[in-house]
Amino acid sequence: MLWFVAPAMVLFGLFVLWPMASAFYYAFTKWDGFTAPVWVGLANFQRAFADSVHLMSYVHVVLYILGTFVFEVSFGLVVAVLLNSDRRGFEFLRGLFFSPVVLSMSAAGVLWAFVLDYRSGLVNALLKAMGAGDLAQPWLSQPTTALIAITIVSGWKYSGFYMVIFFAALRRIPRNIYEAARLDGAGPVRMFFSITLPLLRQNIMVAILLAVTGGFAGFDLFFTMTNGGPFSATEVPATWIMKQAFDQNQLSYGIALTVILTIVVMVVSIVYLRFSERVGVARY
Amino acid sequence: MQMFRGVLAGLTLLAMSGTALAVTEIRITHATTGGAEKEVLDQIVADFEAANPDIKVVQIPFDDDTYSDTGLITQLQGNPVPDIYFQWAGYPVARDANAGYAADLTDALKSDGWGDTFVPSVWSAGAGTMVDGKPYLIPASLDVTNTIWYNKTIFAEDGLTPPKTWEEFLALIKVLVEKGETPIIEGNQEFWPFGNWASHIAAKVVPPEEYAAAFEQTGKFNTAGFLKALNHIQELHTIGAFNKDMAGLGADPAMATFIEGAAVMHPIGSWLIGTAKELGDADFDYASFDTPVIDPTHPLKDSVIGTVTGWVVHAKSTHQAEAVRFLKFYTNEANQIKRAEAGSLSPIKGVNEKANLDPQTKQMAEMLATAPAMVPPPDTTYPVPVAEAYYQAAAMVATGEKTPVDALVWLDDTVAVIGKQ
Repeated sequence: MLWFVAPAMVLFGLFVLWPMASAFYYAFTKWDGFTAPVWVGLANFQRAFADSVHLMSYVHVVLYILGTFVFEVSFGLVVAVLLNSDRRGFEFLRGLFFSPVVLSMSAAGVLWAFVLDYRSGLVNALLKAMGAGDLAQPWLSQPTTALIAITIVSGWKYSGFYMVIFFAALRRIPRNIYEAARLDGAGPVRMFFSITLPLLRQNIMVAILLAVTGGFAGFDLFFTMTNGGPFSATEVPATWIMKQAFDQNQLSYGIALTVILTIVVMVVSIVYLRFSERVGVARY
Repeated sequence: MQMFRGVLAGLTLLAMSGTALAVTEIRITHATTGGAEKEVLDQIVADFEAANPDIKVVQIPFDDDTYSDTGLITQLQGNPVPDIYFQWAGYPVARDANAGYAADLTDALKSDGWGDTFVPSVWSAGAGTMVDGKPYLIPASLDVTNTIWYNKTIFAEDGLTPPKTWEEFLALIKVLVEKGETPIIEGNQEFWPFGNWASHIAAKVVPPEEYAAAFEQTGKFNTAGFLKALNHIQELHTIGAFNKDMAGLGADPAMATFIEGAAVMHPIGSWLIGTAKELGDADFDYASFDTPVIDPTHPLKDSVIGTVTGWVVHAKSTHQAEAVRFLKFYTNEANQIKRAEAGSLSPIKGVNEKANLDPQTKQMAEMLATAPAMVPPPDTTYPVPVAEAYYQAAAMVATGEKTPVDALVWLDDTVAVIGKQ
């Protein structure tokens, strides 16, 4: 039996356990990647909790995740309900909404950086063409608009993914429940809140879990659109880790931040799974 | 038996011919990916291989940011190591020498009088090519890391001339603002483009000891000198000198915007010349002036900001002799003239005078030759996190995010959190 699992255990040990253990060690050192590491105890962690940009990066990621609840999960749900029909053309529309999902995140980021460009971007060009040139803004260069712009682009990219999840679930809801409700005089809104939403509860919980864990791992869109700027207004843990580790050659500090991020994501996931188990939508 | 002898003789001949054709491969990693400079590098490599058929040169290029972030760090510790790598003078060279990556080139430079072919200033203590009196960097280029490029056509249309004082500079910007132009375009998403200029402004007004102490973390930034520097940057913001998207615009798009003629001035280094050759229209007419005198009593009032870049031979390279052979070829007069004519100022004696330089490169050469002092950029001289923090504080003032006082308080707090580097 031991021989049977040995290859898997060796690979797991080499490529998961050993890197994790060594990362944990380097988090307690001062190491720039060029010179030998020097043991500094908890200094990197003390610095992390005094580093205002690092702390704010968690605020930004929470705001981003809340935004994804609106622009990705909720919008995906609404689109799934609206396009839940076998009528001609609806299949094409569902494909259209899903199409951004297959685009690479980096490509989407670069594309939208062009669309939102202050001088030559499509958004500002449209505003000027409509005579609203005063509203033209450097969307990605202002702390007040950069994070919301990224959140909306993220919604454009991923709402189609959630639409597919909800659409598949909607198709499993028996039609006779809606017919009975209609006979009892319920309108579309009442049916949505009294039938659709409760029966999609499990799917919604899964969608929220995906949005939360995906949000904490968010990097490529932030990197390509703003690289954490302007003035760290869109800094999320992953972009800040990259900057510290590689731009500033502080690898050990970057690793310490990664250890913190891993712990935070683990805690959030465990709490969420416990919660979803308690409310009875999932059993693990 | 005769047949066996024939086969043996054939195999021996084959082995001998194989030995005669044995080619040593040297690997060279750098951050030159395009423009006129890359064309010249490719030409030098091809000429070297033709003159040295026993050596093949393999280039491992990265774009600038990737090279300094992850490219070099992984190459230096890879297997096989690059035999030659590009490096900035100063702090990185000292770090590489101390960490055992850079080879001591004392003997190589003494042979054939190679070291004497360079202008003597590149071997001075402040040039950043030497560590503990030993040379580790073969200078390849003298870079002005910030000068103010301007569109000569727009200047002529508006009857403007390069300013000599800070007051004249402000007056010139006000004229451009009134005419609806973008006076200065900055692509400061990465902080270093404006940071370089902001540190030159500081170097021209902050007492030198105070300046060095702050970056070396033995003093504070919140001083009268740095406040004066940031106040000057605030003056630029207040009169509307910068593009509105400065904080989010990348360095390359900003340069392209200037070359397209959509902005009047662009503060950046001498490497703009190579890009302008590639992207600029034939009628794109431009020149530069250095940051005007701000404080006439300051010892560095007429300084330029610049650095030396060049090549390091890896200490663990198994082909150091071949690497040195390539670098001697690279730095010979003929090849340096080609590089100078492509826009790179040469550290080799007499080259900049002999080369048929374009007007912009000639201007850079004169600027370096006549400047009484050269200030190195902080991010190649002092700990990078401290330099970056200053760059960010300066950018906050330039965009109106913080007042000079608040920015300096933020800066000292940030440097304190970073800890002693």
